[in-house]
Amino acid sequence: MQQEHLIIKQVTAAKASMKDADDLIRQYLPFIKSEATKFLQRPCTDQDDELSVAMIAFHEAIGGYSKERGAFMKYAALLIRSRLIDFQRKEKRHFGHVSLDAAQNEDDKTLEEKMADDVNDYERREGLFATKREIEELSKIMAEYKISLTDVAENSPKQASTREACGRAVRYAIENPEILEELLKTKKLPLASLADGSGAVRKTLERHRKYIIALLLIQTNGYEIIRGHLKHALSKRGGRTI
Amino acid sequence: MTYLVMECHLSYAIVLDEECNFRKVANFHYEVGQTVTDIVEMNETSTPLKMKSRSWVYKITAAAACFVLLVAGLANMMMTPFASVYVSINPELRVDVTRNNAVVDIDGLNDDGKRLIEGYVYKNKELDPVMDELMDRAIAMGYLSEGGTIHLTLDAKDDNWVLTTSEGLSEHLNGYLKDKTSVTIEVEQRNQDGYKIIIPIESTDYDEQSPYGDNEYGDDDDGGSDSPYDDRDEYDDDADSGYDEIDDDGDSDYDD
Repeated sequence: MQQEHLIIKQVTAAKASMKDADDLIRQYLPFIKSEATKFLQRPCTDQDDELSVAMIAFHEAIGGYSKERGAFMKYAALLIRSRLIDFQRKEKRHFGHVSLDAAQNEDDKTLEEKMADDVNDYERREGLFATKREIEELSKIMAEYKISLTDVAENSPKQASTREACGRAVRYAIENPEILEELLKTKKLPLASLADGSGAVRKTLERHRKYIIALLLIQTNGYEIIRGHLKHALSKRGGRTI
Repeated sequence: MTYLVMECHLSYAIVLDEECNFRKVANFHYEVGQTVTDIVEMNETSTPLKMKSRSWVYKITAAAACFVLLVAGLANMMMTPFASVYVSINPELRVDVTRNNAVVDIDGLNDDGKRLIEGYVYKNKELDPVMDELMDRAIAMGYLSEGGTIHLTLDAKDDNWVLTTSEGLSEHLNGYLKDKTSVTIEVEQRNQDGYKIIIPIESTDYDEQSPYGDNEYGDDDDGGSDSPYDDRDEYDDDADSGYDEIDDDGDSDYDD
């Protein structure tokens, strides 16, 4: 009983912070692994995708738990099992698709080997390293605005109309570099100019301030790889860097 | 759709899709900078903090509603007539008061009464000042003149209130009318059983008007006050005063 009270306290604290939630998951990793093992009916290892799915399910359990749902551990176990069932169904749907390991033609080369031939492995590693460096640099700059990537993910618009409004504001800023300059200089989002210029509702932009700041920072110099990833979303209507 | 892995944690990763959406996904041993195609997104349909804050909002709203109801109930109780004072000069009035003696209504019970209170504003006033003003109006309109009688009947379920108010009100009116005119004030208490007691109160200038002045009865032998009632027993034997002879059962000549 006392143990359950302690868990509820921990869960309540973890609701407010993703870091706390991650720490709680680390603490209950043996429980999560045992639930995945029960489901798989074989020992679950750290390399199993099912363990990752079970962990994200535990995360969801933290987020969705309330006292009315009964004991937390039972609720978490239920969610883990449901998530693993969904994951297996999804995996089964992919069953029968072309495998990277399957031989493709008469030269007996697998698709994976063929792809490895197409892209130079060294270049790939270099590319990955450069991307990582860019993302780390972006995270560092975002920290000056007291924003983390997790914050941005939580602040991302979910509805299409809101996404479109935020996109309009970002595109307007791309077309008017002085807004990006002002953001870098003052470390504040010029909401009034963005709302006036893009026609988006100021309240909407305010609600997604962190998300818009992240996208605007990506539009500044030094994030060409990330921008390249987003080119379909932003550059097709004309984008420029400062 | 491809996703760029932006941040990795033990239980989740943040990825950026090509449509500028940052997503929380299961971390299948991803590496920052990696591009992936298959993700398992975190289901955030249950919004924990929002749920929590909503439950607080409900609690606060419920508490506020209870408070408003309580205040409204109290205000209603404060404004509900608790007792009535019937004033009879010739104009007859009923003055309704709250437990705190705030006047909440005045009704003219006859034509003169209606005329007396015409245009009179009693709002936010207490019983004593209202009575003073009504007496002034009665004098000004000629209803109350020298030697007249003010008959007050107090009606309430609370005997204590009746007792306290009858004493307080009669004393107050005596004091107020002292320099204006000489009248007789009679106070009648009426409790819920219809039981009546009449307490005659001396008129303001009783000493001047009374046929039983001090000169007739000489100085007090008992060294008491100058009140004409001090020697009541003494002159009761001789004269048939209208004020005396309070029966054992409380009835007096003024009952009728």
